[in-house]
Parts: sequence; C-alpha cells; structure tokens
Amino acid sequence: MQNLEDLKEQVRKALPELDVVIGWTGGYDPLHATPHFIRRDEDIDKLQVNALCVHNLATYLPSMRGKKVGIIVKGCDSRSVVELLQEKLIDREDVTIFGFGCTGVVDQTKIRRIVGDVGNIDSCEVSGSEVKVSASGTEHKLAMSDVLSEKCATCRYPNAVLSDHFAGAEITSTATFEDGYKDVVEFEEKPEEEKFGFWLKEMDRCIRCYACRNACPMCVCRDHCVAQSRDPHWLSQEAHVRDKWMFQVIHAYHLAGRCTECGECQRACPVDIPILLFKKKMNKEIKEVFDYEAGINPDATPPLMTFKAEEDKITERKW
Amino acid sequence: MPILEGKELRIVGFLCNWCSYGGADTAGVGRFKQPTDLRVIKVPCSGRIDPLFIVKTLLAGADGVLVSGCHPRDCHYTEGNFYARRRLEMLKRFLPIMGIDAKRFEYTWVSASEGQRWQEVVTKFTEQIHELGAAPKIVGAEAEETLKLMEAAL
Amino acid sequence: MAQTKFIKKESLSAWLEELGQAHTVLAPRFEGDSIIFRPYDSEKGVFIDREATAPPKKAIFPQSETLLEYSQIKDMENLTKIAIDVKETIPTTTYVVFGGRPCDARGFTMFDRVYLDGDQVDVYYKARRENTCFITLTCEKGETTCFCNAVGSGPSDPDGSDLLITPVTDGYYIECVSTKGEGLLASSLLTDGSSMEGEATKYKQAADASMNEAPDFTGSPEKLLAVFDNGPFWEEMSDKCISCGACTYLCPTCYCFNITDEANGLKGTRIRSWDNCMSSMFTSEASGHNPRPAKANRLKNRVGHKFSYYPDIHGGVISCCGCGRCIKSCPVGVDIREMVKSAIAFVDPTAKEVPAEEPKAAPTEKPAPKETSVKAENTSAKAKKNKKSKKPASKKKGAK
Repeated sequence: MQNLEDLKEQVRKALPELDVVIGWTGGYDPLHATPHFIRRDEDIDKLQVNALCVHNLATYLPSMRGKKVGIIVKGCDSRSVVELLQEKLIDREDVTIFGFGCTGVVDQTKIRRIVGDVGNIDSCEVSGSEVKVSASGTEHKLAMSDVLSEKCATCRYPNAVLSDHFAGAEITSTATFEDGYKDVVEFEEKPEEEKFGFWLKEMDRCIRCYACRNACPMCVCRDHCVAQSRDPHWLSQEAHVRDKWMFQVIHAYHLAGRCTECGECQRACPVDIPILLFKKKMNKEIKEVFDYEAGINPDATPPLMTFKAEEDKITERKW
Repeated sequence: MPILEGKELRIVGFLCNWCSYGGADTAGVGRFKQPTDLRVIKVPCSGRIDPLFIVKTLLAGADGVLVSGCHPRDCHYTEGNFYARRRLEMLKRFLPIMGIDAKRFEYTWVSASEGQRWQEVVTKFTEQIHELGAAPKIVGAEAEETLKLMEAAL
Repeated sequence: MAQTKFIKKESLSAWLEELGQAHTVLAPRFEGDSIIFRPYDSEKGVFIDREATAPPKKAIFPQSETLLEYSQIKDMENLTKIAIDVKETIPTTTYVVFGGRPCDARGFTMFDRVYLDGDQVDVYYKARRENTCFITLTCEKGETTCFCNAVGSGPSDPDGSDLLITPVTDGYYIECVSTKGEGLLASSLLTDGSSMEGEATKYKQAADASMNEAPDFTGSPEKLLAVFDNGPFWEEMSDKCISCGACTYLCPTCYCFNITDEANGLKGTRIRSWDNCMSSMFTSEASGHNPRPAKANRLKNRVGHKFSYYPDIHGGVISCCGCGRCIKSCPVGVDIREMVKSAIAFVDPTAKEVPAEEPKAAPTEKPAPKETSVKAENTSAKAKKNKKSKKPASKKKGAK
C-alpha cells in the first residue's frame, strides 16, 4: 500500500520532534488491529493502516495534553480532533495530524455474523474490495461492501478535514447527509411500544462496563462521570434496566451537537448494543434545526452552547 | 384506594420561579378551575432544567412532563430560556427514538400575570396526556417482566 | 468410581426442561450478536458451539444483589424519633448453569478462596454457591485467545464443575464430578455412559492438542513485584488501555464489588454491585486522595493481582482462568498475556540486582516530596499484600 509507505516516511521525519505518534499495528490475531504508540524508530516498521484499523485514536488525546503528540487519523477520526480543538480540550500546537484518504473500515460484528466462529483466524488479507479470511482452516471471501462499517458505507468525510501531513490521494465521496440516516428514519417509523420494548430488551444485557463512554473521544469527564457519582445521584448502582438505559440517554445528550459519529461507543460495546442509534438521532435533529455538524470547523461554536433570540427553525407551539 | 386512582395520571411540571410558578399561583389565587394531575417542581429558571431531568422523570414512570418558563426576551436572567429552548426542542425531537411519544412532553412560556393562560396550558396538556393514556412502566430490574406486561397489554 | 452417563442429543432440551422444574437453568443463547446466559427457554434454545460472550458469573455473583432491605419508621408522637427496620435477604433460588466452559466454572474456585475459606465467610456468596450447579461442556478446540493451558487448566478440566459433559456420537458423555452433580443425574433420560468413555477421552485429547502453545508464566509473582515501581514500564503497558471495565466485568475470576445504599423515600436497599479496579472511583478515598490516579496504576493492579498478589497468598494459584475474554472483548486489544510476559522478560538496565522481597522506590527517581502517579501506590499495595484478611474494614470494595 503506497499510502502506508508515505505515511511511515512522514512519521519518521516528524518523530524526533514528537513524544509519541499514535497509529495502529497488528492485534492478537490477523483479523484485528490494535492502537500502536510509536516512540522509537523501530516502532514505525510495525505501523499498519488498512480496513482493520477501526479505533478512533483521538480518544487518547485529551489525557495526553501537554505532550507533543502525533496522531494518524481517518476522516471520521479527524472530526473528533477538530471537535476537541473547538472545545479547547487539546492544543493545536501540540498535536500533529497525519491524514490519509480512507476507504473505510470493517465492522467486526458483521464479519462474525458471516464467518461464525472467528476464534481461530489463520490469515486475513484486506484489499479494497474484499476481505479474505481463513478461519479454522476454512477460507471465506467477504465482499467489502458486506462487512464495511455502516458509517463508512455512507461516509461524507473520507479525508481528514484537518491535517498537517497527508498521505496518498484524496478519496471522493458521493454520499449525502440523508444517506447516513436512513436507519434512523426506518427505526423511528416503528410503533412507540415496539421501540420502547426494543430498548428494554437491548439495554438489559448491558454490563455497565462503560466501554462506550471510555472509547468515546468526546467523553472527557472520564473519572468524574455522573454515571458513578453519588452526589448528584443520577444513577443507582443497581443492575436495573432503567439505569442502564438512562446512561445511554445521558451519553447521547452530553454529546448533543458534539458527537462526530465515529461509532466507537457501539464498536466498543462488548455485548453489541446498538447505542449509536441514539447519537445518530441527535445528530440528525441538530442538522435539521441548526444546520450544524460537529467537528468540521475548528472555530465553530456547538449549537447548544449558544442561541438566537429569534430561532430560524424552532417554531413556538401555540398553547 | 385513593378516589382518583385510575382516573388521575402522573404529570410532572418543571416551572421557573419568576414567571410560570407565579402564573400558576395567579391561577390559584384567581380560583381558576384546573385538573389535579400535575405535580409542580419549582426551578430557578427554565435554563436550569437539564433535559435529562425530563428523561429521568419519564423513565421513572411519569405519564407526562410539562416545562414552563418566562417568555423569550423576558427571562429573569436575560437568556436562560433561550438556551432552554434549544435544549428542550432537541429533547422533544429525541424522545421518539426511545419509544416515548413526543406528546408526553411539552414546553411553553407563561408569565406571572397569565393566570388564565396557565389554566389553559394545564388543562390542554392534561387532556393530551389522558388521550395518550398511561405510559408503559418499567417494572423490576430486568426487562423481562416489563416486556411481558407490554405484550399482554397489546 | 465416579458415575458416568449418556444423553442423546435430541433429549437435551427435555433434560433441561426437567431440571428447570426444580431450578432456574441458565444457558447460553444468542441475544443480538452476543451469546449471553439467560434462563433456559425451550423456544429460544441454547447455543453452545462457542464460548459465550459473557461468562455465567452472575449466577453466583450477580451484577448487583440486595444485601438488606430497610425502612425507616417515624414515631407519630415524636417525629424526631425514627426506628429502622432491617431485613436481611439471603438468596434461596437454586441454579443450574448449563453449557459453560471449564474456564467459566473454574473461575469460581478463585472466588471460593476469598469468600469461603478463612475466618470470615460471605453468607450471600455461600448461599448462592451452594445453590448452584455447573454442567460444564468440554471445549472442542481452543481459540487464539485461549490460554487455560498456561494457568494450570485445560479444555476438559472438571475443576469447579459438578458435571462435565463431552460431545460423543449422537449425544453427550456425562461425568459426575461432585456430590452436588449426583443430584442432577436422576433423570430417566440419562442412560449408562461407560461405553462412551473411550470416545470422550479421544475428544478431550484432541481438544488438548488443539490448544496453542501455552505462554510461560513461570515466576510471574516475583517478576511483577520487581517491576512494581517501574512507572515508565507500566505507562507503556497501559498506553492503549482506555480504562473501561469490559475486561473485569467479563472476567470469570474478577470478584470485586462496591456496596451502596439506594434509598427511595423512607425505604431503601443496601446493594452489592460489581466494581472494577480499572475505574478511578475504585480507590478514590473520602479525603479526595486517590492512590491509583492514572490508568497505568490501575492496569498494573489488574495484572498484578491476578499473576502476583493472589498467587502470593493462595499457594501460587494464578487468579486467571485463561478464558481470553479480556483480550477479545477489549475495545482496544489490550493483551494480558503480553503484559505478564513483558514483566517476566523485563531487565532493569539501571538496577544491579532486582530486590526479591521488598521492592523499594526505583533508585533513579528522586524521592519526590509529593507522591504522584505510579509511585504513590507503593505503601498501600504493600500493606494489602501483607494483610491476609480479605474483608475490607470499611463498606468499600471487594477483597484483594
């Protein structure tokens, strides 16, 4: 992959000035990648950039404030970096952004659905159109379109929206805003009882590990989250479906107008609860009412942090 | 068993201290007849209302939630209700994804002098909630019991 | 000679139904894209072809359990006088956990040493433990993330189970492992299994052979203590950790908890709920001081506890059953095997000799007046190591 070689070269040049560069490398089996912290020259050789690099590395930035950090970003990840800059949670001069034209990443859950047993992966080859997986001796050829993450199938920002270095050619996208929210519209058309029941059932298996929160690049309260606070006492520590569900709404609401829809919350969930739907819904409404998208313009103010005396699209309901 | 059990639904109102709470008081002093389903929680300003108060109230089993503050441009704190308007509008649009009818929540503006208007708002909102009927209640820590009840109700 | 039985594949659901009459049967099944233990439902079936996403930990150690219920009773004559009525809630439901793997059942043997052995017995745990039977399934083969063979176990280890079932032609070969297990063998659906023994043994051998080469954890207790004060080592180990609790809550051997009172008006419950050492709140003290302020301190505790502090006080037994869930369910792919191996392989270039007993602050670091980061934990961890007691004095966390 040409991108990768260019990227490595750019990282190699920049590394002496930086404390660390965050990228990806091979994980515990050929089907998984894992975040990779490059401190030494030899670490650069292990860098991997392909459709398995699902993690949004911007998650690490706020806790590394004060260090000179390089970060490799997909288009969606770069939006999180921009949003962090918008909120002044990181300092522009301390962050070096390495962008590249991203053709999308896989959804491991989709791969699991097709392959079934992914416990023994012998090999995995990723190309632009196909993922070739050999699991327990059986070869599976998966069309990329079948295993591509939803967000990537309708991606409008395949290139980093902000970068200091850019590797390879830019990717063009033809997707529209509406394309990305068809699932929300479809889900919303269901009867209220069905939706209510759906969430009860899904939230029931939540183990309250808060991987959704900690994987989220915009969840910057971390150790001071209301989820575990006793005062104010937002949530009981009981394993109650109401509290589990409430937390997801808290997450969605604390992200209103800030969420860059990287999908890390849902990807991180060890029990596959489709919680991204809440955030997508919020983003859809934010766009409709305020014509705003998070993480595009470093100088923009998120819509819920400001107001207009005469709102353009909020019509007072007559009572 | 209380006389009104089965007839009265549980509606929670968040009212700002300066306008709407005064408006409700005016309605009371004026002896305007009102339905009794609403329980009022007084807050300093509609801007104090975290939309999550409303979600928590609804998930805890309220059948409806009403928020009322000062009219835009009349906020005691100048701009609290401007922020509130954005947040509450987002909430109203968000509720359907949870399977909660957006009509179970309304926000409006009532000034301290508008006793008559308060009476209209409460009456109309209470009627609206009664039309929707009782909201599904989450029973027990695990989803199973609630799901069974919901199924039986269909 | 332990009893052996055989059950036909098609009789399995009938047997589970039978068991369900006297007990709550928990069995794995698909829910969404995850495999979760749920009360057995014949319509929804079971899915036992793969290791479940979450272990059956909640059967004995629920995500949250009520320890007591209380209500405050006001004296109507004197409203300042309030009496408190407290009701203890010892669980009585009996469970059969069907279709867990040897690692899932063996995990509870780690709990037992802490909650049952010694001078203090946890009555809630004891009640659930005694009321729960494990019908464990021999694994067909190991996964990439499996390493039970490195922690003194294997894919057909009966340790901690009551019955061990092994797939054979047209059914399952059932071995009775405990006296509790005998009570589950009364069913007329079960026939004598002695003729199947040979086939079952072959299956088990094939499973053993399918395992990856076991990582060598020899010497982990001392080696992990040797790097205890090595801040940079742990910072690098924890680089990618996002400090969530997925690893601990999916771990069959993690047994820490929090106790909180959840009040509702004049009534309330005292509950015990899962807690995890990855959370900052876990060690947060009332004063505001936190001896484990960074994720490096917390991850160190997780690895250290399992591979060093626990074996130290429990006869060398590693408190990890090798199920691999922490590796495959980690959102960022943190691998506990790698961390232990790194600690074992670590050679301190600055130290002449690694102190074996009492680790002191690294000599290269100046004795900072204000204790920060990894170093700050030193004293408390040592105190914990020396203390054999497993019950915290305060109503705080679980055992160490």
